[in-house]
Amino acid sequence: MVDFFLDTFSGIGWLSSSPNLSFFLAVTLAGLPIFLFMALNALVAVYAERKVSAFMQDRLGPMGQGVGLHAGKWGMLQTAADAVKLLTKEDIIPASADRKLFVLAPFILFVGSFVAFAGLPFNEYVVAADFNLGIYYILAMGSVGVIGVILAGYSSNNKWSLYGAMRSAAQIVSYEIPAGLSLLAVIMLTGSLAFRDIVAAQTGTTLAVLPNWFIFDNPFTFFAFWLFFIAGIAEVNRTPFDLPEAESELVAGFHTEYSGMRWSFFFLTEYANMFIVAGVAALAFLGGWLSPIPGYFEGGLWGIFWFMSKAMFLIFVMMWFRWTFPRLRTDQLMRMCWKFFMPASFLTIVGVGIWDLFIR
Amino acid sequence: MTYLSNVWESISTLLIGMRITIGHMFKIRRGNVTLQYPVERWPRPERAIGFSSDSYNVIRSRLTVDMDDCIGCLKCERACPVDCIKIETHKVEKGEDIPEANHRGVTSHGTQKRLLVTRFDIDMTECCYCNLCTYPCPEECIFMVGGPNSSRQEIDYEFSEYDRNDMVYRFSQVPQDVLQEYAMAENVEAEKAKEAGEVAE
Repeated sequence: MVDFFLDTFSGIGWLSSSPNLSFFLAVTLAGLPIFLFMALNALVAVYAERKVSAFMQDRLGPMGQGVGLHAGKWGMLQTAADAVKLLTKEDIIPASADRKLFVLAPFILFVGSFVAFAGLPFNEYVVAADFNLGIYYILAMGSVGVIGVILAGYSSNNKWSLYGAMRSAAQIVSYEIPAGLSLLAVIMLTGSLAFRDIVAAQTGTTLAVLPNWFIFDNPFTFFAFWLFFIAGIAEVNRTPFDLPEAESELVAGFHTEYSGMRWSFFFLTEYANMFIVAGVAALAFLGGWLSPIPGYFEGGLWGIFWFMSKAMFLIFVMMWFRWTFPRLRTDQLMRMCWKFFMPASFLTIVGVGIWDLFIR
Repeated sequence: MTYLSNVWESISTLLIGMRITIGHMFKIRRGNVTLQYPVERWPRPERAIGFSSDSYNVIRSRLTVDMDDCIGCLKCERACPVDCIKIETHKVEKGEDIPEANHRGVTSHGTQKRLLVTRFDIDMTECCYCNLCTYPCPEECIFMVGGPNSSRQEIDYEFSEYDRNDMVYRFSQVPQDVLQEYAMAENVEAEKAKEAGEVAE
């Protein structure tokens, strides 16, 4: 989209004379929809999370009762009301906090997921910045957020927050590796880091009926998908890997001291990161914007529809995990990563290599 | 092999857990979720006290006064152990209707009223639900809703209010301007009596 805007602006006389201004405008115009999408995503996902969690626990979740009462029909205005509440709350900065870092931390976290969104394509054309190493870029930007988490925990000057931040650092450093290695299996098959090529390699059918998505390509990529997905959940600090927050142990972990708008930035980022992990998993393993029935319902808006439905389904699976599994202990978390996920991800790479060379 | 069997065991047990939660998710019924309280309510349970509740008010609930029948005798005010009933009266012509004050001269029992009840307040925050005010009432016009009185008023056991002042029930139906007229008339009369007294002296 940045390239598209730049091309458009170069045709406009007064803009083409100042490349700095046209670049600034192009980036802003491409970034604004991302921000709106992040906000909308959080709004919808929080509502869905509340409803899914409620149904799984035999509750009804947010419910409106009558016309104009409470939060609308089926509580659909609940998250909107929450957003208004959060934005109008008092902005509290603890007296003993490191003021500058405390203010900065949520924005670093937010920027981390915001810039990662720039490389996430919604279909062949709708992508803020079309890189030829998109998957690498998103993996790199995904770990920028951990700086925000550590800063938030450190600057709060609070033991719980610091514990949460340290756990977050350990967790993200560990789970980056299996996530990256399991994506490597896909990259080996396509020979490209660009999402465009990765999705293009998944067109057609396999085994006569199934779409030729990498999850169905061979047993090793099937495992790689689950490795990446679970490691991704660990990276975005979702239950059962929510040790940095761990409300039953650490109050609220790294964002204990945050309230109001700054806290809402943490929340926005959590749901945006969920979407990024789900989106990358959908693009790399589930065919991205390709239709599940090869040859039908493809191209244009259908692409966005299929990509969004795949990502939303994976977000639903994350919620399903969250409301099923209890939180891991720190040692269990590390054991799971280093003793099970690491060997398994190496195995997938070796397996995919052998499969691609000899069996296919 | 314990390594692989551990992996298999954890995966299979996780799948069992996920099957249970998804099963619950799609098994939402009205019966197994919380009642949506202000819209839905549990039916009021019957109370068994050994005899029929039709003849005796076993339900201690909101007090109500039928102002058309109230003769302003103050018996309920005197009976109240916590003094939560406040009544003020004004002397009027016996048995005559005063339409502008919503006053009926004759009660449903045939008693001719001598007093206009200008104030009948019950503070339900103070009420101890002892029901003692209802027994002395000669016109049976003060009662707790529900029970044998349910024909006159449906039971109401959820009478919370947003403002505490709304818990003071004001039953007097005399409009404010009429009240002021009476007050002024009383003042004039008092002044006249005072003057008369002075003249007599």
